[in-house]
Amino acid sequence: MKQVTLIFVLILGVVFGTAANKPSKQKEVKIKTSAQCEMCKERIEKNLSLSKGIVEAVLNLDDKVVTVKYNPKKTDEAKIKQIIIETGYDADNLMCVQSAHDKLPDCCQKNAAPHGH
Amino acid sequence: MNLKKLIFFLTLFALHFTLYSLKAQRVNGRIHERIEKTDKPLVGVNIYWLGTNLATTTDSTGQFSIARPVKSNKLVVSYIGYKTDTIKMTNQDNLDITMKPEGSLQEVVVRGTSSVIDRLNPIQTEIITTKALAKAACCNLSESFETNASVSVSLSDGVTGAKQIQFLGLGGQYVQTNVENVPTVRGLATTFGLNYIPGTWIQSIDIGKGAGSVINGYESMTGAINVELVKPDSREKLYFNAYVNNFGRGEVNFNVNKKLNDRWATGVLSHASTLQSRIDNNADNFLDLPLYTQYNLVNRWQYKTDKIMAQFGIKALHENRLGGQTNFRENMRGTPQAYGFGNRTNRIEFFSKTAKLYQQKPYKGLGFILNGTAHNSDSYFGFANYDARQRTLYANLIYQSIISNTNHKFTTGLSYLLDNYNETYKDQILKRNESVPGAFFEYTYSHLEKFTLVAGLRADAHNLFGAFVTPRLHARWQPFENTTLRLSAGRGQRTPNALAENYGFLVSGRTVRFFDALRPEVSWNYGASLTQTFHFLEKHWDLILDYYRTDFQNQLVADTDHATPLASHLYFYNLQGKSYSNSFQAELSGLLSKRTEVKLAYRIVDVWQTMGQPVNDVRLMPRMMIPRDRVLFNIGYTLPYDKWKADLTVQWNGQGRINDPNVSLQATLDRQSMPILWSQPYTNINAQVSRAFRKFEVYLGGENLLNFKQPNPIINAQDPFGKYFDAGQVWGPIVGTMVYAGIRVKVKD
Repeated sequence: MKQVTLIFVLILGVVFGTAANKPSKQKEVKIKTSAQCEMCKERIEKNLSLSKGIVEAVLNLDDKVVTVKYNPKKTDEAKIKQIIIETGYDADNLMCVQSAHDKLPDCCQKNAAPHGH
Repeated sequence: MNLKKLIFFLTLFALHFTLYSLKAQRVNGRIHERIEKTDKPLVGVNIYWLGTNLATTTDSTGQFSIARPVKSNKLVVSYIGYKTDTIKMTNQDNLDITMKPEGSLQEVVVRGTSSVIDRLNPIQTEIITTKALAKAACCNLSESFETNASVSVSLSDGVTGAKQIQFLGLGGQYVQTNVENVPTVRGLATTFGLNYIPGTWIQSIDIGKGAGSVINGYESMTGAINVELVKPDSREKLYFNAYVNNFGRGEVNFNVNKKLNDRWATGVLSHASTLQSRIDNNADNFLDLPLYTQYNLVNRWQYKTDKIMAQFGIKALHENRLGGQTNFRENMRGTPQAYGFGNRTNRIEFFSKTAKLYQQKPYKGLGFILNGTAHNSDSYFGFANYDARQRTLYANLIYQSIISNTNHKFTTGLSYLLDNYNETYKDQILKRNESVPGAFFEYTYSHLEKFTLVAGLRADAHNLFGAFVTPRLHARWQPFENTTLRLSAGRGQRTPNALAENYGFLVSGRTVRFFDALRPEVSWNYGASLTQTFHFLEKHWDLILDYYRTDFQNQLVADTDHATPLASHLYFYNLQGKSYSNSFQAELSGLLSKRTEVKLAYRIVDVWQTMGQPVNDVRLMPRMMIPRDRVLFNIGYTLPYDKWKADLTVQWNGQGRINDPNVSLQATLDRQSMPILWSQPYTNINAQVSRAFRKFEVYLGGENLLNFKQPNPIINAQDPFGKYFDAGQVWGPIVGTMVYAGIRVKVKD
């Protein structure tokens, strides 16, 4: 029964812990990126969302701006931009990491012609 | 076998999915490519909602119209040779899309909410997506229904580890279980077949309730389950999964998908798992779980051009099981030193699907499916040997088109099934050769996009049981935007495999006796359902009510209710009298908050069967092992991109009828009719937590957290070679709480 209790505590901890600390001390930052398409959007949002201290990342493809909500105790703007450039995209005035950019599919590279919507 | 000579082309692409795309509130648009500054319409572009089966294609002017589903707002536009686009839809209902050519194909990741009800399919269909599959990290198809209220899975006995589906109050053999529209879990594979499809290979599962479509054959009686496997052109290039649990079960899955060039792609799905620790937590001197080792592999090749889509490949499986008394070793087989169970299965399957595509006429399709299977299963239960061979050839040629306009569609074709069985149980030999050519026609009528009628008819000529027709009818009516009503009726027929389907009863001291010559099982299924969508506290909710009745005209009855001072029995005979099942289910699901999904379902079944005719003790009896009531509650919490996921499932199972050879014997001695015994209700709780990182994901979970164990799962365990030994009366978990952990590593484009 120890295992059972452990798992319950874990689950409740995650569900309510995450839900509870959500609103209070979040900060928000908007960063302009070089995203091209839906795949870029997914890649950037995913890499940001799965990184430490980031609560939510939403990229708007119309203006290529990603809005990041984060916990300032765990991360900061510089670290967030670093994640974006390591993913292969520009972040505001920072240039992307070229090697990461070159690995992106053709349609996601900066010189790709715009397509879609 | 003369079909070998035929050369055909196929459409698999979910013929029946594209067929049923109509709508309520729609999104319209046009799709084109830009050539030298002018827009040229693209014809036959696939458009679908992410995570649903709702799909359409553009017409000859590049225009399309697609219904807006409840549960997806991501519209995927894909076209061979062009870059796939995913568009997040908010309020716009008119789109103008320019597609860009590309060298290599991209497939879009399927991500959606975890349970989806296909509102447009005339057959009531529940879809289990990859997201829901991840809720049960372990291990294979038998565990994939954990959060589904319609399908429940239970152990067939206390020794072999075999698992059986229950669906609409009846056994899994009455559900047609297909892998990519090819009937797969059937024949000898009914016994362990659910364990032969690893969870990491599964892309999605559709569960159709009630009579199925005639396209896939006549065997669907209560419903049809279709499993889609991961495709070679999937965006997931590499997928590695490792799993371990507290009983010492270890599992490794490794999938590789590679695009060789713009036409060819290949994929390998592999699986190896084992359990080698001897566990006997209830101290009955029997292993609670059999020791086993499984190796399982699929290699598939895919070829795609504008005109042809072809797939072929091979599946191979080897499994070895050993169970019985804790001190049993394989070299004691056939001796009275200890009671042992063993099974060695080898299965090899060749499959191919070829489709001819009509670029200018997207409503048209011609497809051919060809499958060959060889299945060998050698088992022993104490002194009794059971060796079985199955050879199956399955071919299906499908053509679909329209009559004057797309309000009248039809699908027609020819099929051929060859089944060869050769079974030996103790000294009884059961041989059967079935050869069944067939033809089918299915007509779909759509009116004002609110009403769909599907009328199907097939005729098959069975070499042993004669010709028969299979009518099926489905209707879907959407009187209001949020209300969908469905009706269905249809006939089903199948040839039972007495031993493979009642494998668990063979782990006993029973004497097996066949009273009658085998006859095919024939049933009619009638169903009605209501799906109502509504908003409550600004959140989306779905309420589904459904009722299904299955009436058997003939059925193979497996009777374990009789015992005399000489023996306890397993009798097989054809139904004389009534056999029916009523099933009612209510399910409410929705979002509690942006990130919290809940589902609550209640199901009640009422299943009866006339038994005892051959032994002059005729009674209408409740069907064995089917709990009358079942309640399922599921709550899941997910952060964006699954950074954290937590999931909790509570199931309550009511009582089902069981029996006990000791009680049967006493009744015989007292000259009483057969007594009716009941199992006890129990609650099962499963939970899982997972955390995703950028390159991998880890999970930790537990099953049967209340640690419930069926008391005394093996009757007369102290006397396993005795006449009244019986391990086939299992209705609940045998092992206690199971805790597992694992890792998933995915490399995507």
